[in-house]
Amino acid sequence: MLFNSFIFIFAFLPVAYTVFWMLRSTTWRYVWLTLTGYVFYGYWDPRFCLLMAFSTLVSYSAGRGFLRWSDPRRRKLCLVVPIVVDLALLAFFKYANFGLQTTHDVLHLFGADVQVPHLNIVLPIGISFYTFHTITYIVDGYRGVIRPTRNFFEFATYVSLFSQLVAGPIVRFRQIEEDLESIGNHDRRRWLERGLSFFVIGLVEKVLVADSLAAFVDPALAHYASLSTVGAWMAMLGYTFQLYFDFSGYSTMAVGLGYLFGLRIPQNFNSPYKATDPSDFWRRWHISLSSVLRDYLYIPLGGNRNGIAQTYRNLVITMLLGGLWHGASWTFVVWGAYHGLLLSLYRAFSATWDSLSAAFRRAATFVLVVIGWVFFRATDFSMALSLLRKMFSPVRGALVPQPELAALAIGIAAAWAMAGPNAFEMRHEYKWPGRAVLASGFAAALAIIIGLRTSPFLYFQF
Amino acid sequence: MTTTPLRERTSVDEYVAPQEHARAGRVATSFAGWIGIALLFAFVLELTCRVEDWVTYRAPLLSRYTSINDLMTHDADGMHGRPNARYLKWEMNALGMRGPSATPTPAPGTVRIITVGASETFGLRESPGREYPRQLQDSVNARLARGECGANAPKAFEVLNAGFAGMGLPTIEQDLRLRIQRLAPTIIVVYPTPAQYLQDDVPFAARPDSTARISEPSLVHALRPRTIERVRDQIKQVLPEWLKTRLREIQTRDLLRYAPANWRFTAVPPERLDAYDHHLRVVIGTIHRIGAVPVLATHSNLFMGRQSLDHDAIIAWEKFYPRATGQTIVDFDAAARLATLRVGLDSGVTTVDAAKVLSAAPTAAFGDFVHFSDLGSGHMARVVGDGVLAAARTAGVCDTPTATTSTTDHVR
Repeated sequence: MLFNSFIFIFAFLPVAYTVFWMLRSTTWRYVWLTLTGYVFYGYWDPRFCLLMAFSTLVSYSAGRGFLRWSDPRRRKLCLVVPIVVDLALLAFFKYANFGLQTTHDVLHLFGADVQVPHLNIVLPIGISFYTFHTITYIVDGYRGVIRPTRNFFEFATYVSLFSQLVAGPIVRFRQIEEDLESIGNHDRRRWLERGLSFFVIGLVEKVLVADSLAAFVDPALAHYASLSTVGAWMAMLGYTFQLYFDFSGYSTMAVGLGYLFGLRIPQNFNSPYKATDPSDFWRRWHISLSSVLRDYLYIPLGGNRNGIAQTYRNLVITMLLGGLWHGASWTFVVWGAYHGLLLSLYRAFSATWDSLSAAFRRAATFVLVVIGWVFFRATDFSMALSLLRKMFSPVRGALVPQPELAALAIGIAAAWAMAGPNAFEMRHEYKWPGRAVLASGFAAALAIIIGLRTSPFLYFQF
Repeated sequence: MTTTPLRERTSVDEYVAPQEHARAGRVATSFAGWIGIALLFAFVLELTCRVEDWVTYRAPLLSRYTSINDLMTHDADGMHGRPNARYLKWEMNALGMRGPSATPTPAPGTVRIITVGASETFGLRESPGREYPRQLQDSVNARLARGECGANAPKAFEVLNAGFAGMGLPTIEQDLRLRIQRLAPTIIVVYPTPAQYLQDDVPFAARPDSTARISEPSLVHALRPRTIERVRDQIKQVLPEWLKTRLREIQTRDLLRYAPANWRFTAVPPERLDAYDHHLRVVIGTIHRIGAVPVLATHSNLFMGRQSLDHDAIIAWEKFYPRATGQTIVDFDAAARLATLRVGLDSGVTTVDAAKVLSAAPTAAFGDFVHFSDLGSGHMARVVGDGVLAAARTAGVCDTPTATTSTTDHVR
């Protein structure tokens, strides 16, 4: 079920919302949110629910272990075993075929033609996200940053919360713990307007902006070989804004849905295309992931504490694994490595870079990010290299479909992303003109949704 | 003693406490505000639907064509496609045929093929430009380029799609006589819909309107909300298949409740099959008379050659032909296939067994019980292409290739 679908907006959400606020007890609200999370998730494939339930049970048990035992060996066991189980599930479902294929390619490189099987695995949607939810819970429980919950349904609610379940943000337990604890005492009206406002803004970002861009980006990149230099730039600029508004739209809707149920979900995007350097970009793009990578990977690796060389190594490793998290493909690994390299270079030359004008730094950072998206979007290296060649050496060829409309859509998206406010910078208390604008945005998005062209969110694949 | 004169109360304000008055004002403002927002919401909703139709299909914001039925017209030539009309993905050219623009007579060296039939030919489920006549044109021209017409090859094949939803054989026959013959076709491909013979009456030709006036839909049509249709389609899409099937069953059952006894066909009615056979022979005769070479194609459906019948799909088909049970419709289509092959053999007409080819294709070849998906149209175009090349040789516009690679599954 998608947030931007008819059934979600007119059936699932009204029922989930109404019943939630009719229930009075904390436990029943946990149970209801858990149930709705499983219905939401099971709508794709009910089998996925078993996997999530298993992961929930294992991580909950680890939390109970931390509460029960103070012996370091037992606590370590409660840390390692569930993380290994969670990562093993992720590795199997997401990376098994990638690993097998890579093994085959490497062996082939050395002359050994070994046949490896291709496993018929269906990737459970959002497994990367809820695996990170559970891992951060376990690690924080082990470190004593949080006190693990004894209430199974509170934990199950945290893992299966439909607003953040399949495409984030990656909400850490400590960020939402307070609201979950007080879920039985929430005031329905307190966040209602704010929740609706965030949801509608997210819907507009996704349906009106991202999907409009997709209408020419997808067919253009499906025939990338025929694109001209201008066509390739238009396609990649379109994709750059499509990806942002798609994912940011989802996150904004997730925040809005959280508010509707009295839960404050943290910001995931802070106008990333306004960034003035690579480091700034990663403080603004997919904030929940970059902060998880920083706190649970980069810092444990040593961060910047052991000299320059170690810092660069840690940056590259962190970004490389961050790239791999996005998908089981070498193009994602290269994308991650590319950003690791950018971060390292920025660290080395930050003094020089920061002395340049802000407008130049912003434009240059944007172009560097667009180059990175080529690897992110490409299905293989030949596509990536072909697109880069077209972008940086003049070639004749086709433009994107409907180039005038495409240019208009890119212009509007660029103006919003690079000069306009993001949802967290807007005021969400409306008088009549504001309500009229919000109603118009909702109506326009709804018109597209009921046109039978509901499209999935790009980040679901991760 | 002084007395204070009684003051006359002249204003309502003096009766209503100021606070209550202010509250009433707020309520009224709020009410008016929400009404305004509701109206704005409805306006933007409708406007966006129209803008999206324009962006996607270039349909004018105030288009008068609001359904597929509006794409049909009734004039001195009978019933046929309306010239230059368009509704969503369906666009008619100046000749009143679905597809790109075409001149009244073919360009020199171009062999004109016209496909006739009902909605399967017109194309309902395919992406724009992927309906079988369009794919047929691509397919036969590709084969032409590969040298399958030998030395005596035309410059190109041009396919015009004269099919329209609901066209029965008598209407097609009339259209051939009154309109299509003026377009100088060399080959005419007939893909009939046998299930039409299971309707209340045997199909008959729409009487030509001697006033010959092509009336455009009124301006009211242009103002009909497009939102409503979108919502209806969306609801249909989100309803689970079992529920849709149940509703269709109830609809058919309700209709049968008021039908006369023995009204329903529970087996293939021989007289209807005979009518189909007769009409098909008349169509072939007319095609010959207008100087074209006919190609017949047997009718295919989702169920032919499958191990088990898709219950949901068959109930959906039954809803369109409630006079027959689902099994009877399937059986009738199978019987009509044999009849078509027989008619083709008797008349010496190239007949392609599309039903046989499509029955071996994956079920994804169909968008529903009879209409093709892009994939199915591709299969159809290939098999009909074999027949078209055979017919082109009969017509003397194409030679036999030196080394044939044809996979023809046709009877001659």
